[in-house]
Amino acid sequence: MLNILVCVKQVPDVNLVKIDPVTGSLIRKGVPAILNPLDANALEAAVQTKEQYGGTVTCITMGPDQAAEALRECLAAGADKAILLSDRAFANADTLATSYVITSAAKLFGSFDLIFCGKESLDGATGQMGSQLAERFDASQLSSMSLLLAVDEAGKTVTAERELEKGVETAEAKLPCLFTVEKTNYRPRIPNLKSWKASRTAEITTLNSLSIPGLDPAQIGDPGSPTKVPRTYPPVVGESGHMIDEGSTEKNVDTLFELIADVL
Amino acid sequence: MPDYNKLTPALAEKLRAIVGERRFFCGDAVKEDYSHDEMPIYGRTMPEAVCQVETTEEVSEIMKLCSAERIPVTVRGAGTGLVGGCVPIHGGIVVTTEKMNKILSYDMKNLVVHTQPGVLLCDLAADALAHGLMYPPDPGEKTATVGGNVSTNAGGMRAVKYGVTRDYVLAMTVVLPDGRIMKLGKTVCKTSSGYSLLHLMIGSEGTLGIITELTLKLVPKPIMDVSLILPFANIADAIASVPSIKLANLDPQSIEFMERDIVDSSAAFTGNGVFPTVVNGKEAGAYILVTLVGDSEAQLTEKMDRLGAVAEQVGAYDVLVVWTDNLKKDVWAARSAFLTVIEAETKLLDEMDVVVPVDRIAEFLVYTHDEAEKQGVYVRSFGHAGDGNLHIYCCSNDLEEDEFKRRVKRLMDACYAKCTEFEGQVSGEHSIGHAKKEYLRESVGETAYGLMGAIKDVFDPGHILNPGKVCHTV
Amino acid sequence: MNKNDYRDMWVFIEHDGETIQPVSLELCCEIRKIADAAGEKLVAVVVGTLPESETEKLMETGVDVILRVSGTGYGYFNVDAYANLFTVLCRKYLPTAVFVGGTINGRDFAPRFACRLPTGCTSDATELVWDPKTTDIEFIEPAVGGKMMAVITVPVMRPQVGTIRPGTFKYVPTGKRPCSVIEETVDFPEAEIRTRVLDFKADDFDESLNIADADVIVCVGNAVKVDSLPKYRELAALLGGKLGCTRPVFDRGVLPFKLVIGQSGVVVKPKLYLSFGVSGAVNHVTGMQDSGCIVAVNKDPDAAIFKYCDYGIVGDMDEVCEQMLRHLRR
Repeated sequence: MLNILVCVKQVPDVNLVKIDPVTGSLIRKGVPAILNPLDANALEAAVQTKEQYGGTVTCITMGPDQAAEALRECLAAGADKAILLSDRAFANADTLATSYVITSAAKLFGSFDLIFCGKESLDGATGQMGSQLAERFDASQLSSMSLLLAVDEAGKTVTAERELEKGVETAEAKLPCLFTVEKTNYRPRIPNLKSWKASRTAEITTLNSLSIPGLDPAQIGDPGSPTKVPRTYPPVVGESGHMIDEGSTEKNVDTLFELIADVL
Repeated sequence: MPDYNKLTPALAEKLRAIVGERRFFCGDAVKEDYSHDEMPIYGRTMPEAVCQVETTEEVSEIMKLCSAERIPVTVRGAGTGLVGGCVPIHGGIVVTTEKMNKILSYDMKNLVVHTQPGVLLCDLAADALAHGLMYPPDPGEKTATVGGNVSTNAGGMRAVKYGVTRDYVLAMTVVLPDGRIMKLGKTVCKTSSGYSLLHLMIGSEGTLGIITELTLKLVPKPIMDVSLILPFANIADAIASVPSIKLANLDPQSIEFMERDIVDSSAAFTGNGVFPTVVNGKEAGAYILVTLVGDSEAQLTEKMDRLGAVAEQVGAYDVLVVWTDNLKKDVWAARSAFLTVIEAETKLLDEMDVVVPVDRIAEFLVYTHDEAEKQGVYVRSFGHAGDGNLHIYCCSNDLEEDEFKRRVKRLMDACYAKCTEFEGQVSGEHSIGHAKKEYLRESVGETAYGLMGAIKDVFDPGHILNPGKVCHTV
Repeated sequence: MNKNDYRDMWVFIEHDGETIQPVSLELCCEIRKIADAAGEKLVAVVVGTLPESETEKLMETGVDVILRVSGTGYGYFNVDAYANLFTVLCRKYLPTAVFVGGTINGRDFAPRFACRLPTGCTSDATELVWDPKTTDIEFIEPAVGGKMMAVITVPVMRPQVGTIRPGTFKYVPTGKRPCSVIEETVDFPEAEIRTRVLDFKADDFDESLNIADADVIVCVGNAVKVDSLPKYRELAALLGGKLGCTRPVFDRGVLPFKLVIGQSGVVVKPKLYLSFGVSGAVNHVTGMQDSGCIVAVNKDPDAAIFKYCDYGIVGDMDEVCEQMLRHLRR
């Protein structure tokens, strides 16, 4: 029986985030929070693995209380257990502090054979969590995993395909192994009514910094994050280019071709 | 009265003076796009000139001139029609509303929006949502103009709950063929005040007047919605479930049906394979897609439970819950791509947009498929199961055009006759144009068809507006 | 940790025994400037041996030191040996910064050794600035889907680790400097490597997906309709170029990832870049701003893309594309 972990994140749908034209700050109001789309692929890979080899899928996230909604989405789509790590003290964490909290908490639920992560998050998009979680779980890692071929529980190995820059690699890794998952073969399923309903009322284990024994306050949240964001600013944009407005598309296009003649 | 005049250089100059140099095109400057809509199989005709109008007054001036000079005028929105409605089959000029694309104002207290006719449906829908409101009509073609929607009384997916475009038009400004400007309707929801000229204009396909401004009714945006996919063994089983779904008191916003083959094509074409093809170990042959709205999760859950019970009775393989924004986006994107996919996979296309009573949809589809096989035409279908509105597409595949047209004609003659027999309508939302005139005539009968012609005479005695369409023959 | 104990900026030289990955050379050129500003040395970390000509190329970027590593465990790329190697080296030599090309391999091991040290790791910066007041490197990158620029620093910990996407910086070697070589041996027991490559199947080479070196690129943004794509393909073909897209087009499943231009995709520098329906989010702009001539077509006159273009046309993208096709067919 495989003990499988899926690490997920709830993110704002950044495509819908707007910038206040006056203050230059982000307008997050009314922007829906969604399960990070690539995490849904990771979950699907985990659930398919469970269905083939047997086991349990636990999903875990760190975030505010509302992030429970992302976990319910995972439960609806086949996860068995859900863990929410929520505490103000976790806020402003970078990947180092986040990976510390997640692994510290996950270890309370046993040791995991396989760990699945999305390739990157829609908002932070650092793509570092997979590596750092693998480090803290002391697991082997196969990134850009596109197809899990076989799990050998007796031999404690897993074989999978990876989509690399110039081709597909078949690799073998020792358990425990962490994957970051490509979406190619793992389109998220649509839950059926029964599992969706179960997910709406399922218990979600919620932990805070005090309910994770031995958690070092210096390694969590802002104090535990070596990277800082001292400032943000709106992108600097230059003056407008030369706008072609000759009155009709045909004339505009003619003019354009005259202007770019030397480039062509 | 087929004594139309050609556009002379002198008249062209007068038109140019009305709309200005930048918005007037004649001769070679007219783009080929203006010669057809999205169903080029019904023929192409280049207009002699195109005026991109911006104001009611410009339209009025154009109509005065064209009435006096007997130049046919065909109004056009985004050109997304499917029956040749905006094609200037008797020449003359095309007046296009594409530049009248401003949403003018919202009246938040009375829940109405004032808009120009050239605003695209998708833009109006998004803008209304940003105001916390919803424009209920939801035709599949989101890049149509609202003016075009009103002129065809477009329906769409949400018609089963909210009704059709007609139900949301409160008032409009219309330019009559002689150039007179008329305001019809008021910003109130009730009227019992004489013949409704407003409702005559709606669905008149630009044959009675040119709409230059619209007042549309909006509703508060639903608090929550969920879509559910019910996979079935085959299309007959899927359609047979619809009356039970409707009886379950769910007040669904839409009930769509789709065949497996078009779902597969959509997945291959867009790379979006969101519809599961194997459900609980069984191959799905057709799907019903239901959208429910509600005020709370509890209320929606209760409705879903009832739908679940119905689904079990009617033999659905499962009930899949499209709850998250990510899934909704994927599912509706796949659904919206259907026509595009059909167009992409065939050289020539013809279509039927019939409406039949809901309990006869399955029978009608079986008849159509049998008849199509007999005639050797490849047919694909999807549509609004909730209101019996079926979109049936005839694809030419490798057939030569003439042979294809012959076969389609035989198929359509049979299908429209069957539709009439079933007490159905020739068109649910795509209209008549010039493509479906004969079928309209057969369906409504000589008396009604004659009355329509008489009404056309009253509005447009010179027959210069969109001649040769709906009930008019030159 | 005392920041002052740390010195010199490192670049990991990724290579296959024959050629150096271009991104490693691009990084040397860029870090050369930062190191000069900071008054520190530029150190190239090379695992295994390079052909003479490649070493020569590397020295042309102005590296001060080549740290040449030999030992067991590096026969094929594996995270275990490389994460260990950089942990050992960083603890011994105390560099202020370590830069690693943002290839799949680089992105695999860099965050891992940063975690082990531990220290801060950033990814995908598009601009690097050395701040003399703090002596920190500012890693500047588009954030929140390109709507903001974020400055990221590692103010306390050292080294500052950063992975940088290929193509972000230019390869402009400034010439050889006196260069010393340090030989290091760090063995990693092969038995402790937890991954093994069983097979590799190179992708069928699809030239249309190789947009990095195209002279002309027609890029479609999220406004593109699926059924309009053939038009843009044809336009690209008529101009002797290739089709590209923005990230959301890939997210919609419309075009493959290899055609994505921008911070999280390919960085391109064509002679002519034509965009249709591209809004101009910074994370896309960073992938194309060095193009020779930028043309933008968008129906929104306020679209940010017009601020970056040489020539702009406000209008319907399909209409303009069709007109361009007509023009070219003439």
